Amino acid sequence: MAFRRGQRVEVYRKSDDESWEPYMNAYVGLHGIVTDPDMTKNDPGALIEVSLDEKGTHRLPQDCLRILED
Amino acid sequence: MTNPICEVTNTLRFVSEAISSGRLVHPRCRQRAEEVAKLVGDISWGRGGPEHCGAIENLARSLVEEGPDESCVQLGREILASLTEHREAFESHIETHNCPTGECVKLAPAPCQMACPAGIDVPSYLTLIGMGRDAEATEIIREDNPFPWVCGLVCTNPCEFMCVRGRMDEPISIKYLKGFAAERAMSEMRYENPPKAPDNGRKVCMIGAGPAGMTAAYYLALKGYRVTIIEALPVPGGMMMVGIPRYRLPREVIDRETGMIESLGVEFRYNTRLGKDVTLEQLREEGFEAFMVAIGAHSAFKLMIPGEDDYPQVINAIDLLRRVALGDRHLPGERVVIVGGGNVAIDAARTCIRLGCREVTVAYRRTRSEMPAHEEEVIQAEDEGVRFAFLTVPVAVEGSDGTLTALRCLRAELGQPDEQGRRRPVPVKDSDHPLKADAVISSIGQVIDRTGLTTLEDLRWSKRSTITVNTVTMETSVEGVFAAGDVVSGPATVVEAIGGGKKAAEAIDRYLQGIPQPKWPQVPVRRRRLECLEVPASTKMIPSRPHMPLLNTDRRRITFQQVELGYSENAVREEARRCLRCDICRRCGLCVEICRDKMGVDALQLGYLNFDHPSPTDLRTTSERCIACGACAANCPNEAMVIKDENGERCLRLCGTVLNRLRLEYCEQCGAVLGPARYHDYIAKRTKGVSPLVEGRSLCVQCARKIAAGRHAEILPAQ
Repeated sequence: MAFRRGQRVEVYRKSDDESWEPYMNAYVGLHGIVTDPDMTKNDPGALIEVSLDEKGTHRLPQDCLRILED
Repeated sequence: MTNPICEVTNTLRFVSEAISSGRLVHPRCRQRAEEVAKLVGDISWGRGGPEHCGAIENLARSLVEEGPDESCVQLGREILASLTEHREAFESHIETHNCPTGECVKLAPAPCQMACPAGIDVPSYLTLIGMGRDAEATEIIREDNPFPWVCGLVCTNPCEFMCVRGRMDEPISIKYLKGFAAERAMSEMRYENPPKAPDNGRKVCMIGAGPAGMTAAYYLALKGYRVTIIEALPVPGGMMMVGIPRYRLPREVIDRETGMIESLGVEFRYNTRLGKDVTLEQLREEGFEAFMVAIGAHSAFKLMIPGEDDYPQVINAIDLLRRVALGDRHLPGERVVIVGGGNVAIDAARTCIRLGCREVTVAYRRTRSEMPAHEEEVIQAEDEGVRFAFLTVPVAVEGSDGTLTALRCLRAELGQPDEQGRRRPVPVKDSDHPLKADAVISSIGQVIDRTGLTTLEDLRWSKRSTITVNTVTMETSVEGVFAAGDVVSGPATVVEAIGGGKKAAEAIDRYLQGIPQPKWPQVPVRRRRLECLEVPASTKMIPSRPHMPLLNTDRRRITFQQVELGYSENAVREEARRCLRCDICRRCGLCVEICRDKMGVDALQLGYLNFDHPSPTDLRTTSERCIACGACAANCPNEAMVIKDENGERCLRLCGTVLNRLRLEYCEQCGAVLGPARYHDYIAKRTKGVSPLVEGRSLCVQCARKIAAGRHAEILPAQ
């Protein structure tokens, strides 16, 4: 599984996923923490919950996220 | 996403620039500009009232109309243009005490509040809990979330992941403190609904009595709407009731909080399934003007392996949990295998243990470290006797004479990571083996049951089989129909559903009032402005949060009693005092820079200020070096750092934490305050050679000058 709870991530690009909305463009470049990954079956297509620093908690597609090294 | 420019701050900036540039030469004009700056400053600092915008407008008009020169007229026009174009932003600052951009530092929410999908004002309620004011804390929570008790037990607590204290040592135990406050308020009969607006006569219907539906019902009922909830099950709560086992969330908690919503006049119609017992058309004929679909995700994916449909002993976890929640306590089998590695699989396994199954095994195709279930749940399951078969892939259900006997599995090993970094399980050749079982429970994901929604032909669905909505307003593609909860997000969390329900309630209200919908997600509102609790630095540094006491394992294995027993009152009050009050300190780091770079003292070791690379923090070391000069406090933009002379001492506090306390010295000559000796020494060292000689005496500058001047007079040659 690529994402786990508590991992630090970056929104490094816009997603091509249909769930990506225009207001999310401003999240590109922000860092955050995975707060609720896919808790059932590690589906790479699932939306995962990410808390972005100072910008709230959102369900984002996984293709726009990358893990930050500690 | 919010506009990165705050128009209130922007207005304040250009008015201040006009004043300081000197181009406003006429005194009356300058005075008016200063008054505008003061009023805009009030709004930016959360001190604005309803009359502020009107007063600014009047002053700006007088600048335009009375001049007397072009600079005044120009400034007046700019102010009027800003106010006209961005009036909503000004009024929003005044009404909500909130700056969506975070530029008005006094108004920006703390990271924990920003992280909460429901937007609860965490620092305010933690402060009240620290003061022992639990009912008021609960009142604040319910301004954003009508289920504080439920969330105090089962929230996935994204707030704790963003808690700044976590960068120091361990995050504040926000979830459990919330649960404690709500339980205490309920127990003391001080858990009350806020006042309700008068009945506006308009009817709204929620489809589904889960967290999203009931949250929207709560906020709409408070606004004066007549709300009805139709619910397919015979009980309220949705997945909270039939998806979360009672040992994690007792039924009484849901019932009591639902009761509070019901007491606002919300009507519940149980055993009423949309599309079967009632149609949307019939509901429209009843006078409902808006609908919210919040039916949850109560169906399950199938295993898709041979034999799955041949034996009645193959069930899914969601069905098992629902059945048990509704009172059926029959064993699914003596030996049970649960397929899956998520939270629901663990819930099903622990439920089976409590029902009396002899052997409960969770079969998961990857390893423990890839399991998506929460670590603490897995540990508790193991404590209770659940076994785990990792790297095990089910391939067929076996049995004879209609009775299940085993789940045939393959052993697997993890392959090389794919392009997404996932290591897929690869079956090992000839590793075929049976896992003996007389019941198999699949738990590989939930899906939305669309059956009742097929008549809504224009309803758009996503590729994930969830309803497509505008996530800012929760509007669907069908006018007047909104949606929230798992039906939108897929299987997600209670607090997310609550947040969705709250957004939908706001949007439904706007829809029915004919007000335009917002374009950007709403930013949480700071509900209170509370003084900080005074705590010594050594107390603040207590590193770990309290350990949650658990029910003993034997009792956990045989009853559905709540496993987590709750914190003691002392532990709760102490834990609340660990909060850093990030609603006040914005972590700009100016205090650290000034102390280190300008003053050369370097007394502030606040490593937690950095989000990405926090370094060690020790609030206790400040007192070792701090000279109590006050430079940090003077430069703090948000009055988080405060220095004050009191009771013969100079005290430096950061959001209530006492960082340093030094005894004051007084001028021997006139009695004026000199500051602490350490500060005195610092100044003397810096001004050595240029300051008047005081010969080790404690003198203020004026008295030292007087004495020095007297000496000069004595040594001057006579004229």
